[in-house]
Amino acid sequence: MKNIISYLVLISVLFVINVNALDVELVAKDLNLSAGSKAAIQWKRVFKSERKMKRYKIDTLDDAIKISLEEYLINHAIDSDKPTVAGGF
Amino acid sequence: MYKYITMFFLATLLNATDSRDLIIEKLLKEVELLKTSVSELKENQIIVQSKQKEDEQYVDELYDFAENTETRTLEDKLKFGVTFKTSIDNFSKEYTDGHKVTNSNMWSNKLMLNMNADVTSDMKIYTRLSMFKYWGSGTKHLYSNYDNMQGRVPSDSSLYVERAYLDWFFNKNSYIPMAITVGRQPSSDGPSHQFKDNTSRKATYSALLYDGAADGIVFTLDASKLISNKSSFFRFGYAKGFGYTENSTTVGNAYIGASDNDIKDTNVYGLFFDTTIPNIKNSLIQLSYSKIDNIIANQLDIEENVNIGDVDMYGAMVEVRNLKNSNIDLFLHYGHVETNPNTQTYKNYGGLLNAVGDNSSKSGDAIWLGTRYGFGDKQRYKFGFEYNHGSKNWVSLTQGSYDLYNKLSTRGNAYETYMMYVINRYANLRLGYIQIDYDYSNSGWFIGESKSINNMTEIDELKKLKSIYFKLNVNY
Repeated sequence: MKNIISYLVLISVLFVINVNALDVELVAKDLNLSAGSKAAIQWKRVFKSERKMKRYKIDTLDDAIKISLEEYLINHAIDSDKPTVAGGF
Repeated sequence: MYKYITMFFLATLLNATDSRDLIIEKLLKEVELLKTSVSELKENQIIVQSKQKEDEQYVDELYDFAENTETRTLEDKLKFGVTFKTSIDNFSKEYTDGHKVTNSNMWSNKLMLNMNADVTSDMKIYTRLSMFKYWGSGTKHLYSNYDNMQGRVPSDSSLYVERAYLDWFFNKNSYIPMAITVGRQPSSDGPSHQFKDNTSRKATYSALLYDGAADGIVFTLDASKLISNKSSFFRFGYAKGFGYTENSTTVGNAYIGASDNDIKDTNVYGLFFDTTIPNIKNSLIQLSYSKIDNIIANQLDIEENVNIGDVDMYGAMVEVRNLKNSNIDLFLHYGHVETNPNTQTYKNYGGLLNAVGDNSSKSGDAIWLGTRYGFGDKQRYKFGFEYNHGSKNWVSLTQGSYDLYNKLSTRGNAYETYMMYVINRYANLRLGYIQIDYDYSNSGWFIGESKSINNMTEIDELKKLKSIYFKLNVNY
């Protein structure tokens, strides 16, 4: 039990440290980018091309945000892993 | 006077003639310029027409290419996915009589072939064929004959149909969209096992209550608009926990079903409510009630089998993935069961969680909690911890469990901790440790009395289990 409490304290500390992390979903929304509109490999292509990044106005973002946005778009691409449930709407 | 007038007219006439010549000359120049412009325009028009023709040819080519691709896509009626796991487990088991069994080199492979078909926009079929075996072993596991454990326990290299169900959606664009799910259900590896596999939710029901294959029918009602909270669903389910087929009499090629004089089928009725925590993304709350009636003593016994009673099972769970973008995942599950035994007992094993001669009702509880924290570049490293506790009479339908040891059925305490390395978005490696401290006997079994481990010296009753494992998991 003592171990569990220590672990929960550790998790709380980690949470406080990380809680203000960037919400890339909002960045994607601002740029009118829908992750599900492309497959992962197509999003990778976008981030490799200056012209395509300019087209989607990604070129104006900071490098760190670009990396997070690319990760988000790839993780939520149309061919990404989807939940499986009975009657999955 | 006349002389002057004549001279004036002559002078005027001469001037007029000079001006007309100049105008004509100017006009001729302009006509020449116009001719040149028209000629240039004609040349340009020819060039434009030629370019337009080229463009049209290019568009035609693109169209043909797109249509060929579309045709191929339309031809692909099945979409394939594959999950592959290789694992090495090093475990040691300690029994109540003090003897120990260890295995430091137990390898296994698990293959799950997923096939989906979008029959129409309202009708989808999902299937999963599973193989789970130890390396170098072709021995068929006895439990593979249990319907809910097929493809879920290490056995021979046979492929079992773990899932085969149809989702049929209707009223899709209405206020309350609905769906019916018929067949072998998505009821294995449910929430919150997905964190260990680094995937998304892989089944409908809390894995503390249900884990394994199950044939049934589920009616889903999307209440998201009704209660103004996204991803809110009511589900009503019916499944056969056990279906008796009398196998000595046939009609044509089929065994006839059970008659009224035979043992009764085990039926499972369930009511489930899924929703999300408002303003918390990637969250899931699930509340459930299930009734398991006419539980049978032993699925494999066709000679002396008996129905031993009913169980009411209640569940509640909450999980959050990446809580407030902190890279922390959390989950908490709770389960409660109450038995309603009949007077029947199976051989000398007893009745429903009872010893022979005891017909009292029992109740049991369990909790399962866990967390996972992602860190490093792109959260490539994930550290996880899980704990579950089951009381003396805890029992549930997790016989086709995610892990080898059915740790969530433990009547006692179980701990699991792991470190994962995410190789890429499809593959990961996981090094983990499981420890199970049993407090009571017969974990996972409906039949027989649950006794305190401390008072036992049985040769086949587990007291403690420790396992270190290393897994490669690919989900594509």
